[in-house]
Amino acid sequence: MAAPLELSCWGGGWGLPSVHSESLVVMAYAKFSGAPLKVNVIDNTWRGSRGDVPILTTEDNIVSQPAKILNFLRKQKYNADYELSAKQGADTLAYIALLEEKLLPAVLHTFWVESDNYFTVTKPWFASQIPFPLSLILPGRMSRGALNRILLTRGQPPLYHLREVEAQIYRDAKECLNLLSNRLGTSQFFFGNTPSTLDAYVFGFLAPLYKVRFPKIQLQEHLKQLSNLCRFCDDILSSYFRISLGAFSCVNRYQQQIDFGEVHSHDSTTRKLIASEWRHLSSWTRYGRCKSAETHTTCK
Amino acid sequence: MQLLLLCRETSWSDILCLGAERERDPVRNSAFLQMCNLPIKVVCRANAEYMSPSGKVPFIHVGNQVVSELGPIVQFVKAKGHSLSDGLDEVQKAEMKAYMELVNNMLLTAELYLQWCDEATVGEITHARYGSPYPWPLNHILAYQKQWEVKRKMKAIGWGKKTLDQVLEDVDQCCQALSQRLGTQLYFFNKQPTELDALVFGHLYTILTTQLTNDELSEKVKNYSNLLAFCRRIEQHYFEDRGKGRLS
Repeated sequence: MAAPLELSCWGGGWGLPSVHSESLVVMAYAKFSGAPLKVNVIDNTWRGSRGDVPILTTEDNIVSQPAKILNFLRKQKYNADYELSAKQGADTLAYIALLEEKLLPAVLHTFWVESDNYFTVTKPWFASQIPFPLSLILPGRMSRGALNRILLTRGQPPLYHLREVEAQIYRDAKECLNLLSNRLGTSQFFFGNTPSTLDAYVFGFLAPLYKVRFPKIQLQEHLKQLSNLCRFCDDILSSYFRISLGAFSCVNRYQQQIDFGEVHSHDSTTRKLIASEWRHLSSWTRYGRCKSAETHTTCK
Repeated sequence: MQLLLLCRETSWSDILCLGAERERDPVRNSAFLQMCNLPIKVVCRANAEYMSPSGKVPFIHVGNQVVSELGPIVQFVKAKGHSLSDGLDEVQKAEMKAYMELVNNMLLTAELYLQWCDEATVGEITHARYGSPYPWPLNHILAYQKQWEVKRKMKAIGWGKKTLDQVLEDVDQCCQALSQRLGTQLYFFNKQPTELDALVFGHLYTILTTQLTNDELSEKVKNYSNLLAFCRRIEQHYFEDRGKGRLS
């Protein structure tokens, strides 16, 4: 009997099992390869680490970063690429590099750097998942990390202006989406009829962009025009992540039940009240209108 | 049209050389332009980085226009009616772009890592070569500044905690993917070279022909005989009049 595999990751919303791209990649791969994962969603308690999420824990190992986690799962004989040829394996690596170089900067920008999106959607959502006062610190740190990554990989030394690169990264991302759409064509998955690592990565990067409701949505609009990519995401969601109450992930005696769009905590109601008050307060002070209610609607 | 290709005398690929064999730098940088059969003249300048509009070398100077970096150079040349990838269909173009990103993602980052984050190489080779055109103390200051910049970038993309062995493993994985894609073909797509061939040639040629404190990087590439044959073939075909071949 294999040792239990536990995955710590960010929770879900807007019909997705997780809103965080890297966590979603690992979850999708686990579903495709049949790995029995126990999912621990980051919650309002002080248990567990939030820094390098997603993190896979087994009896003897702690593995972080999606690439390493997927390698580890493959070594445990949970291999979704079993039927791929050598050339298809090489193509997988190449397309993943394409996603990371061309699409990821724009996705990071949409979620973490674009002010309207960050302050009305991303920050309240992530802040609501973690206890106070971490909720005041961690989202800001993640946002700065994202900005840093964009500027250092795309900006020009020594001044690193964001404005110069914004147009370029969105152009690159749209081109990348077009390339993916051309490559997918009318097939169900990228390589044949069974999903593989590449499908997990594409799903992980595209699904949050597709489903999360943002005020500034230029990239999302472009994605919605590529109907085969949207169909790809919807198919995976309906086949592998059934959208029903608590159906997605396991419940064990330590765990919270995961309901899409909401996280119920075992904590006292007082803490929930304080957390919700902070959410409302932060939204009001930023924009004078309360958007936070929208971020916690259950999926339609 | 005659293109003037400018590169820095001690640009990154040259830094990996011991000794003053500068002609290797133009070989790497001009592979694409040679494949397009364009007449070029290569010039090396210490301040090429500052002449470039984006701060990066190499760049080309044509008439009264200046274009830098491989991507924009390819676009520019295409706009003038020369293109290596016209014969590819949409799916193949997507594949070509993906493989070019793989090379940039893995090989280029590994080369930068080896140059600036591996203490042995930095101490013995990189600092000295990078700072050599400048007087003291500017040579030390600029070298340290560049090293700090590169380390920041490595940290941002998650390579900060990698060991040398992990980096070499990534290079191996990348070479394996390229080798599998190339297979027994002459070039990566059909029988004609494309931008991908130029890019791969440039990187592999530099890795194979430069001497470092250890040879592990070039050994990784030499494990793949079809990649070695590919480099030799391109060198012979496009650069045979530049003097003796360096790949043995």
